[in-house]
Amino acid sequence: MNNALEFRISASYGKTEVLHSVAGTIAPGEIVALAGLSGSGKSTLALALLRLLHYRGGSVTGSITVEGRELTGLSESAMRSVRGKLIGYVPQSPGTALNERLKVRTLLEETWSAHAEGAGSFGALLESVQLPGDQVFLNKRAGELSTGQGQRLLIAFGIMHKPAVLLADEPTSALDVITQAAVLKLFAELNQKNGTAMLFISHDLLSVASISHRVDILHEGKIVESGPPGKIFSAPEHPFTRSLVDAMPRRMD
Amino acid sequence: MRRKLASAILILVALCALFAPAIAPFDYDRQFRESPHAAAGGQFLMGTDNLGRDRFSRLVYATRISIVLAPAAAAVSVLLALMLSRFSSLTTLCLSLPWIFLFIIMRALLPLDTGPFASILLTFALMGVAGWAWPARIFNASIRQIRQSGWLLQARASGMPSRRIALIHVWPHLRAIAVAQFRVLVPAYILSEASLGLIGLGVAEPLPSWGNLLAELQRPQAVSANPWILAPLGLLMLVMICLEEVSA
Repeated sequence: MNNALEFRISASYGKTEVLHSVAGTIAPGEIVALAGLSGSGKSTLALALLRLLHYRGGSVTGSITVEGRELTGLSESAMRSVRGKLIGYVPQSPGTALNERLKVRTLLEETWSAHAEGAGSFGALLESVQLPGDQVFLNKRAGELSTGQGQRLLIAFGIMHKPAVLLADEPTSALDVITQAAVLKLFAELNQKNGTAMLFISHDLLSVASISHRVDILHEGKIVESGPPGKIFSAPEHPFTRSLVDAMPRRMD
Repeated sequence: MRRKLASAILILVALCALFAPAIAPFDYDRQFRESPHAAAGGQFLMGTDNLGRDRFSRLVYATRISIVLAPAAAAVSVLLALMLSRFSSLTTLCLSLPWIFLFIIMRALLPLDTGPFASILLTFALMGVAGWAWPARIFNASIRQIRQSGWLLQARASGMPSRRIALIHVWPHLRAIAVAQFRVLVPAYILSEASLGLIGLGVAEPLPSWGNLLAELQRPQAVSANPWILAPLGLLMLVMICLEEVSA
């Protein structure tokens, strides 16, 4: 059986290489957390996997395979049929990732019609991300949503077409701790319910470890350590992983 | 309240322009050779000019020309700006051109018997073409900002086709800028036409425009004899103030 996602890529901005032959695999139904400091190349990796990095002035070399299908040679129009359909994406901040001028209904319909014919029915989808499906909510403009609602809506877009793999790029970093916990729980439920493989990118090692099957540590453009959360926390091998684990908040008593 | 009043005045002026033939007692070019420089009152509400033409009738027709063609020229500028904004070097080049001299050269190149209607179209077409670079610079900056936006990236990551992204996501942002630019350009073009008319480069006689009616102000002694000569200036200022009030 093919892996949901398999990659070995390098990424550059101009002459500066920011990802150095980063490799990874995600099995179907697996949640892999990718943790690292800000600026370590986590978001670059997400955009590179979607082959969207050129819109940010970057370039990618290497191989990206989703369910055995190689993406690197695909044309831009062929990639459009992959994005959102085979690879879902949940970005970091609903404040910037949602077009505030558009209604929730329009955003849902446009995301639907990118890969499906006819009128979409969004009640079950919205219910699965704990959002109301009533007319009042659908007629709200994206700019009127709370941060938590916006993030849930972005998750709804990400899972709408039941992708083989979901890339979540710091989806909880803009949220308060209670909403953060609820969203993490939601990801775990979606994974169990749909069997969606996930690459969960975050600088918050503790929170992502709670829902992931494996943790990859990204440091200076390389994956320096990979293993189950228990091993990463109890016996980190790489000096950077040790410093990351040591920096985690602990109870003062 | 002020906005409503301004809107009401603009609607009234637009209606006057629309129904100019019904409102004006005479044709704009009808000469009463026996009554040049006639005082206001009686047959001539605002008196007559040096050729014996009724000032009120000419003002009504001038309003029609100025307030219809200025928005048309503004629309041309905004459309050109949208189409050409990606060419930033061309925009910079156009912004650096001395347009007033180019106007003079272009008008000088035209045959002396250029008809009045051709002069109207030419004046406003030139303004429309000349004025695209300012809004283009603003579109260019906005498009650059939109390209870097998170929502555009999100739309692309959803697999939306480019044309849908342009129509659904990008256009509402550009439309708002286009409307704002249009609102800025309309009063600017009304004033530009008036300025060009004042130096003889605007709408050609005998067609009246606010610009060539203002040319009478070059004879201050005539103003003291008939203050109605100031009426075009007053109307121009009133419309400008109302446009500012409505678009604020």
